[in-house]
Amino acid sequence: MRTLLFYFFVLVAVMGIDGLSVFSMERSDRKTEMKKLLPVEIEAYKSDGKDQFYDRNTTFRYMDGAAELYRSYGFKLLMVRRYVKPNHPSIIVELFDMGLSEDAFGVFSFETEGEDPQVGQGSDYGGGLLRFWKGKYFVNVYAEQETSSTKQDVLEIGKGIAKSIKTEGQKPKLLNYLPKEDLIERGIRYFHLHQSLNYHYFVAHENILHLGARTNSVFAHYLSSQTKGKTFLLLIEYPNQQLATKAFQSFVKAFMPEASSSGSIRMENGRWAVAQSHQKYVIVVLDAPFHEKAEELIHATRKNLEGRGS
Amino acid sequence: MKKSRVITRRDFLRGTVYTAFATSAILSSSIDKDVGAEEKVKVILVRDENAIDQQGRINQAIVQKMLDRAVSTLLDEENPIQAWKKLIKPTDIVGIKSNVWFYLPTPEELEMAIQKRVLNVGVPKKNISIDDRGVLDNPIFRSSTALINVRPLRTHFWSGIGGCIKNHIMFVSTPWLYHGDACSPLASIWNKPLVKGKTRLNILSLIRTQFYGRGPHYFDRRFVSDYKGLLIGKDPVALDAVGARLLQLQRIAYFGEDRPLDTTPKHIFVADEKYKLGVSDLRRIEVVKIGWMEGSLI
Repeated sequence: MRTLLFYFFVLVAVMGIDGLSVFSMERSDRKTEMKKLLPVEIEAYKSDGKDQFYDRNTTFRYMDGAAELYRSYGFKLLMVRRYVKPNHPSIIVELFDMGLSEDAFGVFSFETEGEDPQVGQGSDYGGGLLRFWKGKYFVNVYAEQETSSTKQDVLEIGKGIAKSIKTEGQKPKLLNYLPKEDLIERGIRYFHLHQSLNYHYFVAHENILHLGARTNSVFAHYLSSQTKGKTFLLLIEYPNQQLATKAFQSFVKAFMPEASSSGSIRMENGRWAVAQSHQKYVIVVLDAPFHEKAEELIHATRKNLEGRGS
Repeated sequence: MKKSRVITRRDFLRGTVYTAFATSAILSSSIDKDVGAEEKVKVILVRDENAIDQQGRINQAIVQKMLDRAVSTLLDEENPIQAWKKLIKPTDIVGIKSNVWFYLPTPEELEMAIQKRVLNVGVPKKNISIDDRGVLDNPIFRSSTALINVRPLRTHFWSGIGGCIKNHIMFVSTPWLYHGDACSPLASIWNKPLVKGKTRLNILSLIRTQFYGRGPHYFDRRFVSDYKGLLIGKDPVALDAVGARLLQLQRIAYFGEDRPLDTTPKHIFVADEKYKLGVSDLRRIEVVKIGWMEGSLI
């Protein structure tokens, strides 16, 4: 028995060391791969040679609490490179390996309030900051100070990096189920956690929709020329139908207790909220101007989920 | 134990949420009728239009004057040094818990103004330290008998706002463990032995405030306001509640619409309701205003 135990512990120890080495090899591979993506010289800017890397645990040292945004997705590794050019403010590039292209899109979709300068697979420029995604990477490019030439330099550097990322990635599949009519494409948000939902649209201070790392959510804006104000659609994918049903019940109980099983209420601002669960999904329409509009959106989403969409 | 009721968007629409994160809460004496004056917590708002000069530099002398006026008013003393003597003893070991966040740190001018008054009380220089991220390894903070908590007011991605309550997060070695649930357990840090009962004064620097967050580090120069003020009090929860309301009003003034806080600053409410650290109900907070009040919003 003692011999058996001894071999068991040896096995565990070997597996542990092996696991660590696999992990550190993976990290080292990621670093090498990321370094290749950022040119040493670009648009007369040169790397200052002091690249920094941060993982999920150490990234707080670099960006304080803002790190939680990236950690709320599958963020793996951050590389920070400073580009310098005489008589110009330095330009900072932050390259995030998000693990999956879906999460690279997700972190990009978090904010799209500026102009789209057409960099990578999706981009946003505002306040001196370029944000874009391509493949499994999300990238920030910004100058330490803004001057008249900053914008052009930032965009050119961004385009250079986007070009060196050869592989494109897929957007989350969940987006395919959104009804297209009146959809504001740049208003689509993809995320996992309820804190993120509250960032876009405050629903409740508790996690009444049971969102978490294993749920995928898309929050979309709809604007019709015929009605006033935006209508919002929230589509959540749970690991299975049972979890979706439980989340739906929790939402109805906390958000629309008077709705009972109908999942439909007129809110205090006079607009409508309708919720339904469907297979492993929960669909919620918020701020619809009429009950019919909310039902229409729910119906169209269900059709798409069943593969019957137009 | 009674389970707390879930606060939803509909509570905001009804106007039934009263804390700092309620969009309908109003800092106005008109709604104070059912709250007795004796129950109110006093916080001091002091502003000076010359706190920042034309070149964007903070004026050390003006900041000192603002601090002195606010502390004197808070403690009902004419002489600021006498007022500080009500807070600090010459035998105290004093940690000035600052904030070094690169984009909007606690102004050095304010740190110096505080340190000067602590020295004036008679605390030797060797028993005073100013620190943020190194407090756990700092011998002064580790043996401190008194803390002064000072930081700028800003929106924060995960906690709604960064204020006095949150500033003590560096007293724990695993800050990320407090980021869950919109940072609701932050006030629990104030019960840690290194901190408990030591914070004699809280100061929210409103010299520059960040009222909206954007960008890779949740910072964007466009959303920083030269408010030129300080908010001072003994109750960190009351200061944060007023601070959250101010940031909301600044967003309304800037965007022309009521943009809700990005993350509900639930931790302020929880600090009051669960941890009993202070008062979050704006109706129970008296804001005493001193100095220049043009565009003060509150």
